[in-house]
Amino acid sequence: MKTALIGLCLAMSCAPLVAQEIQLGPASAPHKGHVELLSDAVEVKAGEPQVVVLRFRVDDGFHINSHTPKDELLIPTALQLNAASGIKVVGEQYPNGSTFRLPLDSGETLDVYQGEFRVSVRLVVPKGSSTLTGLLKYQACDNAVCYPPKTLPVTVAVTGD
Amino acid sequence: MVRRLVIVVLLIAGVTLVVMAGTHNLRHRQVVMQKAQQSDVQLTPASAGTDPSEDPAAKLLLGNAAPSFTLVDLNGKKVSLADYKGHAVVLNFWATYCGPCKLEMPWFQDLQNKYKDKGLVVLGLDQDDGMAVKEVAAASKRVGVTYPILMPDDKISKSYQLGDYIPETFYVDKTGKIVEQTIGAHSKDELEADVQKAIASGGM
Repeated sequence: MKTALIGLCLAMSCAPLVAQEIQLGPASAPHKGHVELLSDAVEVKAGEPQVVVLRFRVDDGFHINSHTPKDELLIPTALQLNAASGIKVVGEQYPNGSTFRLPLDSGETLDVYQGEFRVSVRLVVPKGSSTLTGLLKYQACDNAVCYPPKTLPVTVAVTGD
Repeated sequence: MVRRLVIVVLLIAGVTLVVMAGTHNLRHRQVVMQKAQQSDVQLTPASAGTDPSEDPAAKLLLGNAAPSFTLVDLNGKKVSLADYKGHAVVLNFWATYCGPCKLEMPWFQDLQNKYKDKGLVVLGLDQDDGMAVKEVAAASKRVGVTYPILMPDDKISKSYQLGDYIPETFYVDKTGKIVEQTIGAHSKDELEADVQKAIASGGM
């Protein structure tokens, strides 16, 4: 009886593994510039420096240079925020890039952002509603080709409490 | 005896459950795949789906005469495609910010050296927007190429129907016909095969 129970348990424990669905997932449609802004609204304490994290996403299969690419000829990703609507921009902090090697290249590696990346921005915002605006400058490539440098408009609704 | 029978029944029940779950899962995946195909959802990585080199419509000039041009090199000297009549010519469109371009360019330099005696000419056509000649010269020096680098004008990308991407390369034979057109970086062997094609084509 014990053996039977063990056998049954083993068989049953395998079932969920086999039955587990392969998630095909929603195919993310490539964006015209290959990068999108994920953040659209933030709430922070008004009147004193606060860190706001802006989330961006690079389309699957593409990469953009990090803020500090290894080669000076490469165009770094940079966020330019406007000091408007009473918002004071104190500074930005960029994430580290990840190492990427072109399939044909056996030597040099690149320092890039792929998938989601987050830029931390230090702001002083006024009380109430305001809008943070600016531009993300970047240059995208895939495994074989590169696209001209582009700018992505950044618009985020900010609520100062 | 009864005990053994119970064991066998339980084992059969377990195995049946596993098989049923697997079958259900398979059917479900098939339905999802079918739906995805019907709605034309890309299941492959975006790079494969959007790779311009996979787009046959991108090779619009293949088999046609290479559009004529006159551009200025890094020394300010005018260079025309017509100057190289009777030569196999590689026209490689590149930019200083393009990693794949800089990967290919030293290979083009090697091929230029190797096939110089067979009349091969490599021209690098810069596609940077508004970059100073000095900076382009510094970049090409860093990449290690000595073949002529030509600065862009406002007509060349239109006449060669370039896409919104680089590198793009045209292999022109001795008669001025485009015998190969490639998009994106390729291996050195592939570049050499295309160079040989341009040299062999057009007779002499």
